[in-house]
Amino acid sequence: MAEEVRAPLAGKIVSINAEVGGAVEEDEDILVIEAMKMETPIYAPCDGKIKEIRVKKGDEVEEDDILAIIDEA
Amino acid sequence: MRPYFEEMPRLGKALKKGQIKRTEENLGQFKEAEKAVEAEVQRIKDAGFPTEKINKRGQMTVWQRLEYLVDPGTWSPLHTLYNPAENEEGTTNVIDGLGKIAGRWAVVIGFDNKVMAGAWLPGQSENILRVTDLAKRLNIPLVWLVNCSGAKLPEQEKFYANRRGAGTPFYRHAELEQAGVPIIAGIYGTNPAGGGYQGVSPTVLFAHKDANIAVGGTGIVSGMAPQGGFNVDMAEDLIEKVKSFKAKPPGRVETHFHETGFFRQVFDDEKGVLDAIKESMKGMPAYDPKFFRVAEPKPPEYEGEDLYRLLPLNPKMVYEFEEILARLVDRGQHMEFRPDYGPEVYTGLCKVDGFLVACIGNRQGYLGKGYPEYADYPGIGGKLYRQGLIKMNEFVTLCGRDRIPIIWFQDTSGIDVGDAAERAELLGLGQGLIYSIQSTNLPMMLVLLRKGSAAAHYLMGGPTANRNNAFTLGTAASEIYVMHGETAAVATYSRRLVKEKEAGRDLEPVIESMNRLAQEYHEKSRPIFCAKTGMVDEIVPLDALRGYLVGFAGAAYQNPISICPHHHMILPRIIKG
Repeated sequence: MAEEVRAPLAGKIVSINAEVGGAVEEDEDILVIEAMKMETPIYAPCDGKIKEIRVKKGDEVEEDDILAIIDEA
Repeated sequence: MRPYFEEMPRLGKALKKGQIKRTEENLGQFKEAEKAVEAEVQRIKDAGFPTEKINKRGQMTVWQRLEYLVDPGTWSPLHTLYNPAENEEGTTNVIDGLGKIAGRWAVVIGFDNKVMAGAWLPGQSENILRVTDLAKRLNIPLVWLVNCSGAKLPEQEKFYANRRGAGTPFYRHAELEQAGVPIIAGIYGTNPAGGGYQGVSPTVLFAHKDANIAVGGTGIVSGMAPQGGFNVDMAEDLIEKVKSFKAKPPGRVETHFHETGFFRQVFDDEKGVLDAIKESMKGMPAYDPKFFRVAEPKPPEYEGEDLYRLLPLNPKMVYEFEEILARLVDRGQHMEFRPDYGPEVYTGLCKVDGFLVACIGNRQGYLGKGYPEYADYPGIGGKLYRQGLIKMNEFVTLCGRDRIPIIWFQDTSGIDVGDAAERAELLGLGQGLIYSIQSTNLPMMLVLLRKGSAAAHYLMGGPTANRNNAFTLGTAASEIYVMHGETAAVATYSRRLVKEKEAGRDLEPVIESMNRLAQEYHEKSRPIFCAKTGMVDEIVPLDALRGYLVGFAGAAYQNPISICPHHHMILPRIIKG
């Protein structure tokens, strides 16, 4: 089953710590959004494999935007 | 009130695999930062003569005396790095902390007899006043290990006189005694002049057989009648006088035990003095802890070591405050006050070693849509908004009514600013919180997890709340400044930039100044700087924080100045609804 990873807040993508095809574990940080001078890590909601990453470093995202999709293990 | 407090809702959850993996680096970096602090602490411990040299003289060092005196596992050092006058000795020359002696909490302070035989140094009276304030705030005995050779004479102008000079602690001793706080002293070595008052001002004096306390010692025998200079005849005369005084210093045991009776007891060996202090402590006023405990003491549900993974060293990285709190309070249990209001701050009742305490802490991260309700911009944790300020005012006031000691946890970048914030009354609500804190007359402690900045640092129970704040702890991630260095550089130089630009001049010199100011802010906000200047009372390893909370709670409930029966408390009922 695919799990969507959505932006909890609007901001700028400052780092991406995962790659398509790579395995992730639940609660591992896959990317970081910077907003209002603070960095908010976005965690994998489940164990699985990264199916898709829809943003790149430097992108501005809106709240609720889909950032990545994980194929749940 | 057993149904309220015996079992309360739980906070926190166990670390997950992914979380452990992603926080490995933070753990390593945090421990590395703590090592740098520990190296400074070790430097203080190694100051002056080596231990072996002191032991060869038949004396124990202050560290050995403390180790023998204080119950194992209870020593919570304070002010170890405090050195506000930047003494070359690296210390104010007193060692202090909170610890149990014979099962009762006391504030303990001793002169470091390895450094100039325990001389007065610049900054020392400020250190002592912090300690006397602590004993007063917690209403627990003050224990002195006196071993004070008097003033470091070449620097006397820096500490002898003035409002908070070397004599002020003696007035504080009198103040403590008048407030019913006993001061127990063990006296060692030669204590002339100021050292004599250090010796005589406590409530009960136990002396070592070689100890003396005196109005003046051998060092001032010729200085009492200045003759306009020195010559060889005077020097020869001085040598003779010093030799005779050295053989027989004034204020010996034969005078102050057998004649004046100032010394309550005298002991042949050093440990005898410490045993007498222990015996005396057994008779100090203290409730049986069971009288105030609301539940059996229990450790936190999860390991303190987890804190190294949960508190990011990177000050910009957000985290969950409740996960931190879960690792510090008994079983991670709590009753949250107004969970649906003021989301930027946590306020709730917790237990520490079975005692009821109130906890207040900044939450981090995005606060959700529509908050703050008075503005069209999003709110972020670490900042304070209208609801959070109102909630803290209410909570603190109710804690005062219910006599519940407060533990503050700060990681704050300040209070919301701008026209909307002014209309939302944040300025008045901030000062209102100060008024609420001051009204409680409660003991409080602060853990500065990371940032203490802007007015929020003093509103949230910071050390400036000096009637209430017993002590403030920092971590290896702590930083304190009025604003971030780069913000300060903008505030200082932005108009200058405009002027230079309009005049067609090179901007580089101004930019250089801006960068220099930002760098200075960085250097002067680091944990070790904060400890040296007294902005925090100690930098504590994360896995040692719980021990300080236990010490604070135990001391606050040992002999409180006022009490509220558990079944008369209103705050737990308000939370329950």
